[in-house]
Amino acid sequence: MTGDREQQNMTQTDIAHLLADAADEVEIGIAPVQAVIQAGRRRRRARRWAVAAATAAVLAGSTGATLALAGLPGGDRQTGVAAGPSTPQARHVYRPQRTPLGTGTDRGSDWRVELTVWGAPRDRAEAAGQLTAMRKFGFTKTVLPPGPDGLVNRTSYYASLYLGDDRKPRVLLFDNLEKWDRMSGRDVSFGALPLAKEGVTGSGRLAVGRVAGTAQQVKCTWKKDESTVDLPVAAAGSPDRWFLCLAPEGESVKAAEVIQ
Amino acid sequence: MGDGKQTRDEEFQSFMVGRWPRLMRTAFLLTGEQHAAEDLVQSTLEQVYTAWRRVGAADDPEAYVRRVMINVHARKHRRRLREFLAPKDDSGLVREVADTGDRIAQADDRSALLKALAQLPARQREAVVLRYWEDLTETQAAEAMGCSVGTVKSSAAKGIAKLRAIPVLAETVTQERRK
Repeated sequence: MTGDREQQNMTQTDIAHLLADAADEVEIGIAPVQAVIQAGRRRRRARRWAVAAATAAVLAGSTGATLALAGLPGGDRQTGVAAGPSTPQARHVYRPQRTPLGTGTDRGSDWRVELTVWGAPRDRAEAAGQLTAMRKFGFTKTVLPPGPDGLVNRTSYYASLYLGDDRKPRVLLFDNLEKWDRMSGRDVSFGALPLAKEGVTGSGRLAVGRVAGTAQQVKCTWKKDESTVDLPVAAAGSPDRWFLCLAPEGESVKAAEVIQ
Repeated sequence: MGDGKQTRDEEFQSFMVGRWPRLMRTAFLLTGEQHAAEDLVQSTLEQVYTAWRRVGAADDPEAYVRRVMINVHARKHRRRLREFLAPKDDSGLVREVADTGDRIAQADDRSALLKALAQLPARQREAVVLRYWEDLTETQAAEAMGCSVGTVKSSAAKGIAKLRAIPVLAETVTQERRK
């Protein structure tokens, strides 16, 4: 018995030795610090903000559209999804809470931007019902999870653009959250996108974003000394205020800041 | 806030540069291939970077990194492991010079071990690498693998038993002991 154990220990020691020897075969190279940091930043942004696939293509291109995040709060300031009422209807699982963020007319065509906040389904059955409701609402698969599991215990929000008589929303920004990472102070998170139908590229003149519940004014800037100020509004179902700015045609909103 | 961010980046950079060689070696044993190892380490460190504020302040950032690496490995490499490690030249010529004790024989030892590892299920491979290369305790390995100590024990034992049963490796081990 002692002999067996000794032999086993010897073998394990030998294997440890061989592992060390084999590990030396790898070429170590130089640590690609900058590449990792940049990829890590992208990963962090992507985790916090999911952008519609079509929009992401625009953001990734050279059209001037931007997605900017400034002073985002850390995890220690997250707020939980409230337990809320017991029925899915009362929790807005199947019918979202809707808040208009802005309207206007562009080249003779009316447009409006609306925020919808969908309550967190508590189980798979509720999530399946919500997914069906979201499809009926006009959201395409590019902004929906592949199955109901991705919605369970998650609050979802969608900031959508409606152009003219088209009742189909173009989702500008969306996310499915386990917890709201609530904004505070002068935190700003926004996306700048073209005022156009899905698939049409252009300058990121339409900026939509959220700020802390205490923010009174947001300044959007597209050029030096050229800016506009919006008064952010509270949105049903969201702990933050939301704002919307529109830059002149051909311009892109480059920055947004809470000024009051 | 900008200064804080810069400081964190510098801390991360220092951590990454310092740990890079060790992580590369572990990743190489897990994946068995140079590029797959680089990919595994980079993916791991990208995830570590996103949580660096928390990880950097933790008592044992190494443990977090190991856990991430095993998770990434499980996701990215488990199914493709055999493909990565498929022998490219199995002519048998190398074995003929295995007992000469020279560099070629050493290379053959490594090759034999990597091939043997390739034949292990991923979980067993992870347990063997963490226990006998990283020299972790069973508890530490369990933490890294996100499983029980019992699972680590059985996975490592099965892995070692299979490695011992492979003739080429058994022969290599015997030769190592004779030296």
